[in-house]
Amino acid sequence: MITATKQMVLFLALALSLAGWTAMASASGPGYSFGAAEGKNGNCLDCHSASDKVGSKFFIDPVKYRHTNHAKIGCPACHDDSVAAGHPAVKKASVKSDCRFCHTDIAGDYAKSSHAGKTSCNGCHDPHRANTPAEISGYDINRMCAGCHDHYGITASHAKWLPQAELHIEMLPCITCHTGSKNYVINMYIINRKGIPHLGKFEAAGYDELKRVAGGKEILSLIDTNGDNYISLAELRNFNTNSAHKGLHLQGMMTPETVTHSFQILDNRRDCTFCHASGPGAMQTSFIAVPEQNGTFRKVAVEKGAVLEALYSTPDFYMTGKTRNSMLNKIGLLIIAGGMIMPVGHGFLRYLSRNIRNRKEKGHE
Amino acid sequence: MSDKNMIYLHPLPVRIWHWLNALGIITLCLTGVQIRFPEHANIFGSYRSAILLHNTAGIIVALSFSIWFFYYSMSSRNLAKIYVPDAQDMKRGLLRQVGFYFFLYFFGRPNPHHATPDNKFNPMQKSAYLAIMFVLMPIVSLTGIFLMNVSPLRELILAAGGLKTLDMLHYLAACSLGAFLFTHVYLTTLGHTPLAHTKSMWTGWEEEEGEVHEETEHHAGQKV
Repeated sequence: MITATKQMVLFLALALSLAGWTAMASASGPGYSFGAAEGKNGNCLDCHSASDKVGSKFFIDPVKYRHTNHAKIGCPACHDDSVAAGHPAVKKASVKSDCRFCHTDIAGDYAKSSHAGKTSCNGCHDPHRANTPAEISGYDINRMCAGCHDHYGITASHAKWLPQAELHIEMLPCITCHTGSKNYVINMYIINRKGIPHLGKFEAAGYDELKRVAGGKEILSLIDTNGDNYISLAELRNFNTNSAHKGLHLQGMMTPETVTHSFQILDNRRDCTFCHASGPGAMQTSFIAVPEQNGTFRKVAVEKGAVLEALYSTPDFYMTGKTRNSMLNKIGLLIIAGGMIMPVGHGFLRYLSRNIRNRKEKGHE
Repeated sequence: MSDKNMIYLHPLPVRIWHWLNALGIITLCLTGVQIRFPEHANIFGSYRSAILLHNTAGIIVALSFSIWFFYYSMSSRNLAKIYVPDAQDMKRGLLRQVGFYFFLYFFGRPNPHHATPDNKFNPMQKSAYLAIMFVLMPIVSLTGIFLMNVSPLRELILAAGGLKTLDMLHYLAACSLGAFLFTHVYLTTLGHTPLAHTKSMWTGWEEEEGEVHEETEHHAGQKV
């Protein structure tokens, strides 16, 4: 029995080796191999990283591609190696496996969502620059949606029921309302004016411009002054009040803690208190998305409670009802209590002195 | 028994303005409580209803405030006389009025101030209304307009220091107005009858008891 098992294992090992050698021989066909381990993408990118060689349609930005997980598994993971046969004369897109092969869970979510059948993964994601949720800012999430959903049309349809619809659409990633998540966090990114100085529209600040502002140092050093890769409230206040950073502002977005592809219209999002009511520990977790050279963002944790502070931690991020400051609540209560002093205190003395006043009044009569 | 002299103290536009303001400000206070503390107060059904009502009442009160300002400064031309304490008020009148409210009143002494259409308010009223109409109301109205139009007024909001500065000013000014409301309503009960001042704000006519000697003939209270 043992001998029979050993024979079976040996046979399988030989069969696998043979299959492996055959595959390698095929992959390193006439001049268009996918490259060896380290440079699986190398040969493809020789041409596809130059738009003048392959045209804009087949151009792959190497800077944005190389950091992706897709680059790590390499071109042959998705593209059939038959591309080598008549390539580049044969320009047929060769796909060996689609996204579902690896992203099974996401495909399951998506198939049940309201997007199913309307577009495929490529409709929103470019697989050659696919970033993880941690690598993008809320601003980028909405840019994906805007590919199909016209900004003005969406604003108009939301304005039918949503107060300040334009503000909500600018300040929230669509997925905050249109996918489900148990928890939400605040993601902040740096904005500055584009175009005309002092008049241009505020947009997300890019890597190069922030690098210049930082004097060539790491962009994060603009905020994280002690370099511990963690942003304290004191550092945040300092960034927001530092006149050297006058043109830079932090824009916050409430984003789902867990990003899913279960796109849907959720009725409970029409109840404003879904976002605007405070609860225990509400809005305690926040991050700052710092742009990286490769087009992604690095998310850096911020000390708890940043958006709940009265003024300087996030001077321009305020969600009515949700991010109210508890100290201001107490001051307000004291002011109102002050207004009660007259009715309560004076009223009490008025009651005690009623006999004196009545006697005096009768005396006058 | 005393005579009953009637003086026409509150012209119709002022009364309309006053009651419109009263309704608007009470609505703003209640909706404001729900907007800031939605998990503790659900007065108007939904948060959205509270927001829409707050915005509507805010616009009405802000417009009403503008009309008041133009009525008094342009048409009536006695804005400063009625609302700004003069040197005499500051030197003597204010202390005398404070002394009356917090001391002499309890001994049945008369109000030292005699209201006339041109001098409606005692020095304490003038000081309080000056702060309310020229500081708190403009702050609460302007910040409210900003908070209602965050996208269109983004540039001005950033120039003013951001949303949180505006919200803080709006909230604290609103709390101060809310606090004043309690004092205001209480002081209206200090007339010769508890509802005398409220009635006069409704009909325009203030009833005076007796005459001749100001020290003895005036009813005790003047509302602030």
